Amino acid sequence: MKNDLITLDNVSRFYGEVLGVNRVTLSLPPGITSLVGPNGAGKTTLMNLMTGLIRPTRGRVRVLGQSPTQPHKLFGLVGYATQFDAFPKGLSGFQFIYSFLKLFGHSNAKCKQLANKVIEQVGLSDAAGRKVAGYSKGMRQRIRLAQALAHDPRVLILDEPLNGLDPLVRAETINLFRGYATEGRHVLVSSHVLHEVDMISDQVVLMSGGYVVAEGQIQGVRSEIQERPVKILIHCKQPSMLASKAFEQEHVVEAQLLAEGSGVLVTTRDADRFYRLLNHLAINGIDIEGVTPADDNVNSVYDYLIGSEERMPL
Amino acid sequence: MIKLWCGQIVSVVRLELKKTFFSKRGLWIYLLAFAPVALHVINSGYAARERQRLAMEAAKHPVSQAAFNDIKDGLSSDQVVEKLGKPYDQYSSYYRRGGKQHRVISYKYTDGKNDFTYRFEDDKLVRTHRSNPNALPQSQLVFATSFQFYFLRLAIFFGCVGVFVNLFRGEMLDKSLHFYLLTPMRREVLLAGKYFAGLLATIVIFTSSTALQWWAMLWQFERGVIVDFLASPGWSQFAAYLSVTALACVGYGSVFLAVGLLFRNPIIPTAVVLLWESANPFLPPVLKKTSMIYYLQSLCPVTASQDNLPPLMYLLISPTQPATTITAVTRIVLLTLIVLVLASFIARKLEINYSTD
Repeated sequence: MKNDLITLDNVSRFYGEVLGVNRVTLSLPPGITSLVGPNGAGKTTLMNLMTGLIRPTRGRVRVLGQSPTQPHKLFGLVGYATQFDAFPKGLSGFQFIYSFLKLFGHSNAKCKQLANKVIEQVGLSDAAGRKVAGYSKGMRQRIRLAQALAHDPRVLILDEPLNGLDPLVRAETINLFRGYATEGRHVLVSSHVLHEVDMISDQVVLMSGGYVVAEGQIQGVRSEIQERPVKILIHCKQPSMLASKAFEQEHVVEAQLLAEGSGVLVTTRDADRFYRLLNHLAINGIDIEGVTPADDNVNSVYDYLIGSEERMPL
Repeated sequence: MIKLWCGQIVSVVRLELKKTFFSKRGLWIYLLAFAPVALHVINSGYAARERQRLAMEAAKHPVSQAAFNDIKDGLSSDQVVEKLGKPYDQYSSYYRRGGKQHRVISYKYTDGKNDFTYRFEDDKLVRTHRSNPNALPQSQLVFATSFQFYFLRLAIFFGCVGVFVNLFRGEMLDKSLHFYLLTPMRREVLLAGKYFAGLLATIVIFTSSTALQWWAMLWQFERGVIVDFLASPGWSQFAAYLSVTALACVGYGSVFLAVGLLFRNPIIPTAVVLLWESANPFLPPVLKKTSMIYYLQSLCPVTASQDNLPPLMYLLISPTQPATTITAVTRIVLLTLIVLVLASFIARKLEINYSTD
């Protein structure tokens, strides 16, 4: 059972005096796990640590019980699609995957068979004979994904794998991830496009500034946040009056009038009490047209956890 | 396990060879390697023309060997002309010493093979210079000098810098090294694969050049002369030069592979190694034996000419007995193994850190 986990035990990595990640302790079960955070949050550093491309300054990493310092044992289990957009020169898509598989010690026939299979899986069969250097960004993204999938690993580590993919391919790729996850494998995906995480994750790890700020299932992450204010969007005919009534409540932190005067965005620490207040106001003559939780996805949790710099005023 | 490693090494070699042989970045290595071939071709062409010219001059101005033997210092120009006849060429000049003007005349004669230059100062023969640019020993000496002072010290040295440093450092700069590090391959196996790829490339390039230089040195001579020379000691000399070339690639290759792994900027360590190797003739015997060039030169079949060195250099050069063949080969191989083992320790801890490279 223990060998089914990816574990990081108090892992830190510094680049000289610059922090990569700090005191990260994680235990990731099989399924789709998303690493979410803005640029510089430490997502790629964490993935590079898991695959031995860099070593921790402190702490210990194990992937299904294997140390990343032993690539000959690790990479039979792990496939990693990096963000590095460089390939060995002069190779076609097929040659790239074929050469990669040759380094696993497979026979020529098996390499050919596996390469063709995975290239078809990522939808690049027509372009397999073309040089990778001539591929579009999306195609390069897919050939990197093919490289990670080629040897049928138990752990897939994918750094921003959906970047540059068109919607159709993106949907196919997500289905591919889901298929892998349902087979009991690990699919670890990094992203800063938050709605992608909502769609595909079994669990999420939120990162900011080199720290893990929250982890678990999205609902679980929410429950970890005791004091987190909730935003509620109210469309009504008398937004100013609603805002002033709301501000009289000690649990209301903020009330913003919408630019077009169509409503109010209220931030409260006690959503239940605020909903009761709304009922009361509605009875007393304020015409409320609609009430929408404004942050009922991971985006809001993420915004809240990592700070206010990415929050956009309405 | 060994089979897997061998398979992985072969795969790495295949991938690397293409890059090493056909890289635009490596064009200068070919220039460096094959430049001496052009020099030997030019030299051979010049020597062949000289041979023809001397034969023609000898036909026009025949002189017996006994007459040449009869010429001694102190004779006047008229006495020389009386014994040898009219020179086929002559030129004169003046120089001033101690406020007095002196006249210098040079007379040129030939017996068809050798070119004799008699130098008269104030009408007295002071020096006789005999040259035979067409003689095989002379060509062997030219070859040995060019091989040891240019080919080994500069061409192979910098060729190995260009090939071996780039095996890791070049891929760091291209941001493509992770391709290998994402495979279930021991770092030591990767290092071995890259080393063999570099070695194969440099050995092919530089031994081809050595062979061509050898051919370029010999082609000016008549077939009979060449056959006699190759029978003894030609082929063994040729084999020795090829072996020295390959050993130089083996030794310098390992050093510069390690340099490429260890240093972000290989210029400084390369300069240090170059300085150490260049300073070899001036080092005391004990230190001399710590440089690669000492063992490589010991293996060369012909001692290079140091005739044209400035006198001060002669004072600085420390004479040392060359190493025996077995010692030289063993030490180069041993040094290579030590460097490769150290490099494998570095490779084990190698990290992908493109942004800082």
